[in-house]
Order: sequence, then C-alpha cells, then structure tokens
Amino acid sequence: MDLAKTESLDLPQAEPAKGGSVGAPRLTWMERAIVPAGVFLLLIGLPWLHPGYRLLSLAVSTGVNTIALCGLAILFGQAGIMSVGHAALMGVGAYAGAILARDLDMSFWAALPCAALLAAAVAGLVGLPSLRVGGHHFVIITFALCGLFTIVLTNGGAFTGAATGLDIAPIGTVFGVNFSKLQNLYLLAAAFVLASIGLMRLVMTSSYGRTLRSIRENETLAAALGVNVGLHKIVAFMISGAFAGVAGLVQVYFLQHISPDLYGAFPSVYIALMVMLGGPRMLLGPLMGAFIVTFLPEVLNLDPIDARIAYGVGLILVILLLPGGVMAGLAHLYLSCRRCVVRS
Amino acid sequence: MEIFLQQLINSLSVASVIILIGIGITLIFGLTGIINFAHGEFLMIGGMTTWLVVSHGGGFLLGAAAAVAVVGALGFVLERSLFRLTLDRPMNGFIISLGLIVVLQHVVIRFWNSYQKAIPQPLASVWEIGGVRIVAMRAAVVLITAVVVAITFFAISRSRYGLALRASVADQETAALMGVPVRRYITGVFIYGSALAGLGGAMMIALFPITPFIGSVIVVRGFAVALIGGLGNVAGAVLAGLVLGLMDGLSAGYGLPEWTEAYSFALMILILLLRPQGLLGGTAGPKAI
Repeated sequence: MDLAKTESLDLPQAEPAKGGSVGAPRLTWMERAIVPAGVFLLLIGLPWLHPGYRLLSLAVSTGVNTIALCGLAILFGQAGIMSVGHAALMGVGAYAGAILARDLDMSFWAALPCAALLAAAVAGLVGLPSLRVGGHHFVIITFALCGLFTIVLTNGGAFTGAATGLDIAPIGTVFGVNFSKLQNLYLLAAAFVLASIGLMRLVMTSSYGRTLRSIRENETLAAALGVNVGLHKIVAFMISGAFAGVAGLVQVYFLQHISPDLYGAFPSVYIALMVMLGGPRMLLGPLMGAFIVTFLPEVLNLDPIDARIAYGVGLILVILLLPGGVMAGLAHLYLSCRRCVVRS
Repeated sequence: MEIFLQQLINSLSVASVIILIGIGITLIFGLTGIINFAHGEFLMIGGMTTWLVVSHGGGFLLGAAAAVAVVGALGFVLERSLFRLTLDRPMNGFIISLGLIVVLQHVVIRFWNSYQKAIPQPLASVWEIGGVRIVAMRAAVVLITAVVVAITFFAISRSRYGLALRASVADQETAALMGVPVRRYITGVFIYGSALAGLGGAMMIALFPITPFIGSVIVVRGFAVALIGGLGNVAGAVLAGLVLGLMDGLSAGYGLPEWTEAYSFALMILILLLRPQGLLGGTAGPKAI
C-alpha cells in the first residue's frame, strides 16, 4: 500500500523518476529557468503595469498568504505533516507585531525576528506533545489550537483588544522609502514572497529536505536508519510556524487592524486548502494556491458565496483528479506534451 | 444545591447532542479511518432540514425524521462518490472533507441566508420536581439519546453485524476472506454516523437557535469526544460526552463562562498527552494510515 501511495503522488520535481520505466526527461536549464524567471519578473514588475489600488492590495494579501503557505508546504509537502492551525500561528505573528509596536514601540524590522521566533516557539510548544501521537491526532490538535487561540484573544481584555482587535500604525519611512505607499508595501511583500520561495527551495534541495522526505515516505524506516524522527518533525513544524509568523506580521502592517476572527478555524482551513490546491510539493505551488484562492475570484468579480462554493468543488476535483495540486498537474501536462513533441 | 441540580440537568441535554455527534465521529473515524471534518456541517444540515420542515407547517417529529433521512442520504452519496476513493489515503479524504465544509456551508447560506434559525419548542411543558425545573424538551432529548446509545452499543458489541464490523476493523483482509463485505460495512457505518449527526441537528435546533456556522464548533467537540473516549469506543464517547457536557454546563454556572469552549480543548490535549489511546481505549486508530 505504501508503494501505491508514493507512486501515485510521484511528481516530476522532487526526485528523479523511480525505476526509470517512463522516466521524467531531463529538462534543459532553459526550460527549468523560464517559469521562475517569468514569475520573478511579474512579481517585481507588477507595480509598473499600473494595476490600480484594488488589484495591488489584493496582490499584497495574496503575497501574505503565499508566505504562510510556503511554510505549510515545507511541513506537508516535505515532511508529510498536515496542520490546520496555521492561521493561529499567523495570528501569533500578527498580534506579536501589534503588541510590540504598541507597548515597546518596536518598528516592523525589530519585530520581524520576534514574530518569527515567537510563532516558531508556539509551534514547538504545540508540536512537542502532539506530534508524538501520530498524524491524525496532530491535525485535530492543530484545529483545536485555532479555537483555543481565538478564545484567548477574545478574552484577552485590553492586552489583545478583545473581540474588536488592535490597530497599528503603518511601517513608515525607512532609508527614504515610504512604506505607507501601497506600491512600496507591495514591493516589500513581494520581496518576502521571493525570500520564502528561496528558503523553501533551500530546504527542498538540501540534505535536510531529504531527511524530511524520508520521514514522509516511511517514518519507521527513517527512524531505523538513525533519523531522529521526533526532533525533525517538531523542527519542521517550527520552521513552518516561523513562516506563518512573518506572514502574520506583514499582514498586520498591511491591514493596520486585526481581530480574532482573522485567525480562527476557517482561515486555517482555507490555508490548508490553498496549499493542497496549489501543490504542496512544488516550488511555486504556494504562490499558485494563494493566487487561485485570493486573487482570482476578486478579479473575476465572482459573488463571494458562489466563489466559495466553486472553490470547494474545485478543490475536491483537484484532490481526486490531480492529487499533487494544480502546479504538479501543469508540470505533468508540460512533460507529456514535451514527450509528444520530442517523439515526433 | 438546587441551582447546582438545575445546571446539572440542563447540561445533560447539551451533553446529549455532543454524545450524538461524538458517536458518529468515533464510529466513522475509529472504524473506517475517514476523518470527516464536515461532520459538523452534517449536523447543521440536519438542523436546517428540521427548520425547513417545521417552518413549512410539518411537525417536529416529521422534521426530525426528514433530518435523519436527508443527512443519511447525504452521507451515502458522499461516501460513494468521494470518501470511497480516498480510503487508502486518509489525508486526502481529510482535505476533501475540508472542501466539503466550505461547499455545504455556503450552499446553505446561498439558499437560506446566514441568519440564525429557530423553531418553536416542540414540547412546551415544564415539570417542577423539588424546586428543580425540568424542561420537557430537554428531558426528551436526553431520553432519545439514551435509546440511540443503547441501540448502537448493543448492535456493535452483541449482534453478528457488530462482530463482523469489529473483525473488519481488526483485519480487513482476513475479514474479507471470511466473507465479510468490508466495503459495504464502511458505507453502512458512514451512513449511520451521518444519520446520527442529522438526529443531533434536529435535537439541537429544538433546544437553541442555530446558524450555518455552528458546524466547526460542534465538529471540534465531536473529535474531542472521540479522542478523549478512545476511537471507535461507543462507551468512551458517552463518558467523554458527559464529561464535556457537564463541564460546559457547570462552567456556565460556576466557572468563567467565556472560557467554556477552552475547557474541552484543554481536556482533549491533556488526555492525548497522558493517554493517547483515550480514556477507555479504542481501536488503536484506523488501520489505513
């Protein structure tokens, strides 16, 4: 059964084809570079296309989601652990930023490491007991974490702003760049997105990524080969928590107002769904997932409720038909087209 | 003392709804390995069905029967069309159930808006025994739950179908070789669990108004009950449901009511730390991991 599991999820990207029966053909460096380069140019160049305020702020929220999704993609795509508590971890980052700015007068840049570390610490605290007891229990615990987090925020009184939440001033001017302007804020978010994708690639290509994948494929075997499974699972969760914390911090400076319902169970479910939709094992999967869910419905002017229904149905279809997500589907499509062309 | 008794009796009816949902989840999750987070939405749809029937002039009993039938049928359709395809990869089934939450909830909101729905109390009488007021509807909910629990418990532990079911949980292949139609049992358990959620929804709307967003709150309770009691263990689910229900009721009267929901999470985390197999021990989790 394990064999079937790995085979049907086998994607062209992560490892070279198993057994070499069909075999993913070796791509030239040009083919490898063209999509990332295009995405890079589009991300950086978007403000110069005069997208307008609405589109640009949508792009920022897409970016915020992408940062968190990269973390979740490392956790689920590489280590094979699913979490439906990532909105709570984003909330830790966001509230840390808002409270540090209010009480300690900390700037965005000073709060950045704090938010990342704090979210990672919370993830570690949650993961320490619950990762021990197996994947399914972990999923449920993370879901409960979101519920608990919202209750704590709502009952936190003046410290967390209770149900109305907290306000925060914009980032302001740093080195002559005014981040109150949406365009500059967008560039900041884009830089964070590129950095997260870069970090994700680093994890995926490093030996650490291989360790995580060995846990994903067969935990018992990995443990027998001397991998400290428990430790690496917690570390992977902490890494993804740090991503979520940074995403939350960028979000709070973008929205300038946060409230507990942004970080409850439903946002978490949406984050988990986005990562599955985009493709958790693909480098650009998180960006794709965030783009489809956050950006597309608004641009197409769909009624929000219809969009949600379409999104749910689409997700179910993707899971059934393309278990690797949209990006993996596209990659497969490209590879099979390429084979046809090469053969003819 | 009287207030204490009053709280105790009131919280029993809340515990009943939690037990109904918890039994459904513990059976489905513990026996078939399907993690269905949309189970709370099933309850919501049960409640909404009852509301629709009652607001169109049907009686509450008709509404409850319709809720059980509709949600049971929904369970059948979804199991056959979606969950069946993911039995060997539970994580995909889980993700699909997350998608289902989104779809079911918004379909309900789309057609019947997102405001809260209520029906008139089906049983209006109130008995007073020794200074304790017992609302007849609450007593009826407790009674119905007790009957359902008893039937479920004996069906699983005593009947030959229950035996075959437990055999197929212990070892699917061997059970299949002995002539147990394992797949059909999985479908059956899924339908039964869904129908219980429908019944729970009918009970719930008889007690308080519900909104289309009730599902996610309830489903966490249900999973808490299933995990605290031990997966697949009906008696464990009843025990855990009682504990959670009483904690809810008593904290509303004595503790800090705004923290009520936090208690069940805290208890669940504590139990998973100390006794990962649950209070009464379960099926050691589904086989298909």
